[in-house]
Amino acid sequence: MEEMVVALKKKRRVAVAWAQDTNTIGAVAKAVKKGLIDAILVGDPNEIKKTCKAEGIDHKEFTVVESENEGKAAAEAVRLTSSGEADILMKGLVGTDKFLKAVMDREKGLMIPDAVLSYVCALEIPAYHKLLFITDPAVIPFPNLDQKVAMARYSIEMAQKFGISRPKIALIGASEKMSRHFENSVDYSIMCKMADRNQIRDCVMDGPLDIFLACDKKSIEIKGVETPINGDADILLFPSLESSNPFYKGLMLFAGGELAGLLRGTRKPVIVMSRSESEASKYYCIALSCLMA
Amino acid sequence: MVLKNMNDLNRLVEGGARKRLILAAAQDQHSLGAVIRARKEKIIEPIFVGNKKDIEKICESYNYDIEGIRIIDEPDTEKCVETAVKMISSNEGDILMKGKIGSATLLRCVLNKEWGLRTGNLLSHFALFEVDTYPKVIAVTDVAMNIAPSLQDKIAIVNNSVSCLNRLGYKTPKVAVLGAVEMVNENMKATLDAALLSKMNQRDQIKNCIIDGPLAFDNAVSLESAQLKGIKSEVAGDTDLLLMPDIEVGNVLYKSLVFFAKAKVASIILGAKVPIVLTSRSDSEQAKFDSILLAAAASK
Repeated sequence: MEEMVVALKKKRRVAVAWAQDTNTIGAVAKAVKKGLIDAILVGDPNEIKKTCKAEGIDHKEFTVVESENEGKAAAEAVRLTSSGEADILMKGLVGTDKFLKAVMDREKGLMIPDAVLSYVCALEIPAYHKLLFITDPAVIPFPNLDQKVAMARYSIEMAQKFGISRPKIALIGASEKMSRHFENSVDYSIMCKMADRNQIRDCVMDGPLDIFLACDKKSIEIKGVETPINGDADILLFPSLESSNPFYKGLMLFAGGELAGLLRGTRKPVIVMSRSESEASKYYCIALSCLMA
Repeated sequence: MVLKNMNDLNRLVEGGARKRLILAAAQDQHSLGAVIRARKEKIIEPIFVGNKKDIEKICESYNYDIEGIRIIDEPDTEKCVETAVKMISSNEGDILMKGKIGSATLLRCVLNKEWGLRTGNLLSHFALFEVDTYPKVIAVTDVAMNIAPSLQDKIAIVNNSVSCLNRLGYKTPKVAVLGAVEMVNENMKATLDAALLSKMNQRDQIKNCIIDGPLAFDNAVSLESAQLKGIKSEVAGDTDLLLMPDIEVGNVLYKSLVFFAKAKVASIILGAKVPIVLTSRSDSEQAKFDSILLAAAASK
């Protein structure tokens, strides 16, 4: 993750919707201080000043744009990003539903037309020899084939920004066998053929694979499964939110992981972080958005 | 080893023990002609089940030498098939062949639960074609039996055909799953099934062959076409077996090969206890003979 931060070249402008809580301002202030970004805070100026004061942060570090409620703040932050006055949009204290409503607004929003809204996350795990990207731990509960294909493309695109020109993407299941009783294994087989035929480009894809076969060379030897992923996956694509979300949270909690995640399918990077994430992860999310901007 | 042409089937049966062929409702001139020729060439030893008088009359007028051939007199055609099938059940024959009787009747007897020839496998049609424009024989399935095979059916059809090709000397036949295009398209079920079959093959869930698909017909049989399209495939351009998406595509391909490409064809039904020669009345005597040859080579 630090390598990613070091590699960043250009300072970006971030518009933050309803930016008046300690959490948001703290994360943004750190990124500003490190020279990663300039921040435009959209919200109640008095609240912003109060929070800054309490945290010992100089509010003059930011541009403040006044807005009377969270809905309007979200719409204004989206407008700033859409018009090019900002490069990146970030969610503050505004509720996720209101925030996404503004992002997905057909006329004024930030969606790429007909794109799938999804989420890709980079994980730094001490026990793994490199960054591991996972998708989708936040947005799509039960992705269908089209959504899985979109998730694959988004994650490949992100891995490429990290300099991995042909990432290895493992489609995760409970076993490596194809079974028509597991709908995901059916989708995965179809996706592998799409990768064979260059309908999904610039990747080495295999699945279904369990996480051992995807990320552990020893398991490959033990099981004798032939797979081009060969225990060296860059990306894990999960079959559902309920498998991917506990996976990454488990790593955060028990394995000392750090993450950087971003919404995908939007014209400009959109940061949505959960309040429970660590300071470092929040900072990395902002850095990632700069990388993807 | 691959078969370059139909004659190569001869090499597989040469010197081996003659296979016992039971011709059900034998009173059919084309079938008798092909069987007599195969007997003369020491490929089979036939037993005729049918109307003895009619059989003898045909053989006399066409000068077929039937000396020493066992004929079981059964004037009732339904009964003939039953007798023939029961003989195979009790190991008195290696190949079953249809004579002057409808395919439906024969198959009904083959599938009889008490004395039929069921093995638990799906029955499927397997055809070999020899055309001047392809450097080797090409197998095609299923052009005549399964109408709209499901994924499970296709797995069974591939397994039937691959074990037959294995017996014909192909160690790892190359199987192309045919589609209209080589890309996966959600609206074309054949392309989705093709992707699933490929993956099952990679995971060793379908063994003893290399499967790739979807492949359009040109990519399947022409390396140049495949290369032009940038398809990386072990199968493209070197296909041993073409798996059809359904009977309509299969049957039209089969007939186009025969009528336009003047293909030589041999075909059998697989999946029963023994290979079944079930050629249609419109097939030439040569096709019937080649089918007998194929059945003999494929028989265990």
